[in-house]
Amino acid sequence: MSLPKRRNAVRLVLIVLGALTLLLVAAAWHGQAAIARAGRSIDQTAQVLNAVPVSISPPTPEENSCLHCHIGGENKNLWTPLARWSVFGTFGLVFVFGIYRSASVWTQRKPWKPLTVRTAEWVDERYQISQPLSKILSKPVPRFALKWWYCLGGITAFLFVVQGLTGIMLAFYYKPSADLAYASIQFIENEVRFGAAVRAIHHWAANGMIVLCVAHMLRVFIMGAYKKPRELNWVSGVTLLILTLAFGFTGYLLPWDQRAFWATTVGTEIAASIPVIGQLALVFLRVGWDVADLTLSRFYGLHIIIVPLATVAFMLVHFMMVRRLGIKQPL
Amino acid sequence: MATTNPETHKDTIPFYPDHLSTEVKVMLGIVVLALLVGILGMLFPVGLQPPADPMDTPAHVKPEWYFLALYQLLKFIPKTIGALIPVLLVLVLALWPFFDRKQDTKKATRIRLIAVTAGLILLIALTIWGEVS
Repeated sequence: MSLPKRRNAVRLVLIVLGALTLLLVAAAWHGQAAIARAGRSIDQTAQVLNAVPVSISPPTPEENSCLHCHIGGENKNLWTPLARWSVFGTFGLVFVFGIYRSASVWTQRKPWKPLTVRTAEWVDERYQISQPLSKILSKPVPRFALKWWYCLGGITAFLFVVQGLTGIMLAFYYKPSADLAYASIQFIENEVRFGAAVRAIHHWAANGMIVLCVAHMLRVFIMGAYKKPRELNWVSGVTLLILTLAFGFTGYLLPWDQRAFWATTVGTEIAASIPVIGQLALVFLRVGWDVADLTLSRFYGLHIIIVPLATVAFMLVHFMMVRRLGIKQPL
Repeated sequence: MATTNPETHKDTIPFYPDHLSTEVKVMLGIVVLALLVGILGMLFPVGLQPPADPMDTPAHVKPEWYFLALYQLLKFIPKTIGALIPVLLVLVLALWPFFDRKQDTKKATRIRLIAVTAGLILLIALTIWGEVS
């Protein structure tokens, strides 16, 4: 049996009005009971209220040290009303939700849709994401690619995420200046909670990223996966390797200890011996002729902004092309 | 061979949830490994050398380990050529697919495998030499 929609709406309004009436009656009854307990009638209460000038400002700490107890009129600890409100308030919300749910099932004559489904549908109506998402998720993966050596690139990408997270943690405490860098690393190593652990993860994952990057490249090279139509993906991969090495080179200077300083001095000297552009490269890297405070600033900027942005851009291109072209079938 | 072959249902698995679960497992493995490194790092910290001092050159100045092979190479050949070689090498490496355009064969794969092994041994030898010298 199905009723016309209009009459259902009338029923719903009647339910809500009935509930409100019940609530009002209950509240009035409660008020009467409270006045009876206080031992005076409504008129007497009005007289008392009129006689005493009502002060809106809260009592001073001298008058009443427990402001909340004063307002609540009870001598309880501070958290009692809060806990009471959250527990009984949750019950109340569940109760209201149950009434709404029953009423809507009754009026619409349809089974109840869970809130998760409703939310997903609401978002999908606005972003239209479910179709492309299911297309992405349903793409078949060839069985020949289920070998560990096909994991190397993915692990490198995940290590990049690890580097990003630990790098952000380190950046909270690191100070990129020649005067403060060394002390801030000492602070991270000795004072910051888990600072030594985070720095160790950042240090060793950086080395692992270089090893895995090279391993992934050698795997692709040996299997001939760079051949047509994947040439540009190979080029983007080599760019990513160079960016990874740039990460290592710029990050190595940041502790500003003897090893970092002299490794950077030697490394930039190698760059300086490139013909024609060598001196330009040296000045660009060192911001001057010597490794100094400005070199540290430049390397820090490259390490935390320029190189990560470039890496993310090339990684997106790299992954999208892998997805579109598929994995090369081995011979 | 170069293009993706039409994939039948038999020799593929669905990305979701079959393959994704494997990837999540690998990721969790890396996370556990990273936490292990973190715990070990608290016992054996990465550490610091003395603060940087431009006036005091240490006895053995060395670059990072991944530049050690290049550094060792530069000791034996003129600096200009030695700095040019890696630049050209990277260029050739980046543009390699445009040089090697032949149809792939098993024989070519074997040749590449041997070349990579030889190159890797050379690289590792140079790195170790650079480290100990």
